[in-house]
Amino acid sequence: MSWFISLLESAVRLSIPLLLISLAELYGQRAGMVNIGLEGLAAIGALTGFMVCFKLNSAFPELSNITPWIGLLCAGIAGLVVNMIYAFSTITLCADHTVYGMALNIFAPALASFIYGISFTSEDGLGQIATLSGIGIPGLKDIPYVGKLFFDQNPMVYVTIVIIIFSSIFFNKTRAGLNYKAVGEHPQAAATLGIPVVRVKYIACMICGFLAAVGGAYISTCYVGTYTDGIIAGRGFIALAAVIFGRWSSSGILLACLFFGLCDALQLKLQVTAGINIPYQFIQGIPYFATITILSIIGAKQVGPKANGQPYRRELR
Amino acid sequence: MKKVLALLLAIVMVSLALVSCGDEKKDGYKVAMICDSNINDGGWGAACYNAMKNAAEKKGWSYEVTDKITQDAYYDSIVAYCALGYDMIFAPGSQYSDACLQAAKEYPNVAFALLNGTVDAPSKAENGNLSSLLPNAQQIGWIAGALAGLMTTSGKLGFIGGMELETTKGKIAGFEEAAKYVASKEGKTVELLNVPYANSFSDAAKGKEFATELINQGADVFFGDASAVDSGARSAIDEYNAAAGSVKVFDIAQPADSLGQNECIICSQVTDNSAMIVASMEAVEAGKFGGEVLYGSLQNGALSAGKISDLVPADIQEKYNAYLQQMIDGTFMK
Repeated sequence: MSWFISLLESAVRLSIPLLLISLAELYGQRAGMVNIGLEGLAAIGALTGFMVCFKLNSAFPELSNITPWIGLLCAGIAGLVVNMIYAFSTITLCADHTVYGMALNIFAPALASFIYGISFTSEDGLGQIATLSGIGIPGLKDIPYVGKLFFDQNPMVYVTIVIIIFSSIFFNKTRAGLNYKAVGEHPQAAATLGIPVVRVKYIACMICGFLAAVGGAYISTCYVGTYTDGIIAGRGFIALAAVIFGRWSSSGILLACLFFGLCDALQLKLQVTAGINIPYQFIQGIPYFATITILSIIGAKQVGPKANGQPYRRELR
Repeated sequence: MKKVLALLLAIVMVSLALVSCGDEKKDGYKVAMICDSNINDGGWGAACYNAMKNAAEKKGWSYEVTDKITQDAYYDSIVAYCALGYDMIFAPGSQYSDACLQAAKEYPNVAFALLNGTVDAPSKAENGNLSSLLPNAQQIGWIAGALAGLMTTSGKLGFIGGMELETTKGKIAGFEEAAKYVASKEGKTVELLNVPYANSFSDAAKGKEFATELINQGADVFFGDASAVDSGARSAIDEYNAAAGSVKVFDIAQPADSLGQNECIICSQVTDNSAMIVASMEAVEAGKFGGEVLYGSLQNGALSAGKISDLVPADIQEKYNAYLQQMIDGTFMK
């Protein structure tokens, strides 16, 4: 039982950055913005969060309890700003979404690497920061087996759950959310109803950039307390798959990310579990086998926004 | 008259050119390093860059580096330096073997120093202009394993690997055998838990998860060969120790002396690659470079143990230093 519970705990830890980045893409795609540049946005977020915490910890060590929060906020703003390149190119200039998303994947990690490179020398050693401390809910966290899993987590876990609940209500139960979705389904029709399509698309890109970067910053400020090139390790691309797997709904994305997190946790755990004589290469392949299998099943029945990735030109109304 | 002047000018120019081709290099020797990781990573990349820099400064060579390159750019980066007239290429990793061998074939006058290259790599270079620099992986494992065997109380050790490289496997074997030997002398039995591979040198999150699981299984001393992944592991160890209220789980770092970087680090296995690079540079200057394997060991000072933490009791420090001396003397485990 404890093996299974620790597997679930690991799955939750691994799912949170995926969830944040997937939610970023959900907000983008629901407005028709297919941004494949999540990996780059997360990378710039991880760097910004780390650098802000590192500098603040050096200057104000007494504030180390709140610096991760400031780091997360600054990371989100940095992601928002960087994603405006994509937004301006695809919304205003009607450029191809895939091309500019890929451009972000090339540009943003390189920018992060450059900033890190000029900030630290080879003799500085590994820069490290204090991570955001976990919050245990008194009484509940001591419940056998499930207490730690549900009630003794990093604060960002609770924040992410709140964002999921909010997103579910927003997209399904509010007029603003339905208007938002209309932009992704049929922007011309939405425009005839008075919905400011361009403004909604820009807002979508701002939310997307902010959340994706916070997802990246979660890794550096809440998880491992350091930054290194390649720290995102493909999570931006897995998040893209999670949006499709989750069928463009926040609850679906929650399940998809937990599933991917569980697969990853399983492969990590099986590698160190004694008595399992399966080659580790096969065990490492579990998340990839699962992803391909699930996407081949779900992909055939995809119900994504109809105007996803299509440029919006007002004159074509 | 014009023809005579032109002829004289040509003779002067040819003479000057021939003078500049003499034995003494007018612009000095130059070494370039290529690296797929960041030279500011606080781990492997930084250790190798610092080794090259120190060696170059000692020998008066000028140096240059290209880091963060992807696999498809290994060859192009190397030949770019060759074309610029660099005398030596320093490639820190066996992953550069093929690119170096190809470039060595095309640039016979350039020396290629391949760190952690295979023993047979020099013989594959047609022009005999490639040498392998091989830190003794078994001894690296011994240096960490002996301390782990002395410090463990649970009898369970953890090792986290980045990729399943030959050097990594050598370190694991050395770590395990030294820990078991030393523990047996103390009347303890030691077990190395399953070694996981992150399949990455940068995914620190995986290192944290591996370490968390290994701690759950009882591991109380860690060693690793996974660069930034190791930093994730240390994050998990520090969190565990903070929750426990004291340092109960330890880590042994490598390849630079990292004592003080994390509370859990009790010592480091230090690899001074600069000694082997200096030897390579001297061989280049003497025109005798290539076709050999330069080993880095405890005996020639390329390998050593770093400073020991106060968390290691004085009697254990004494025993550990005695084991290190045995390793240097060649009497360890004999």
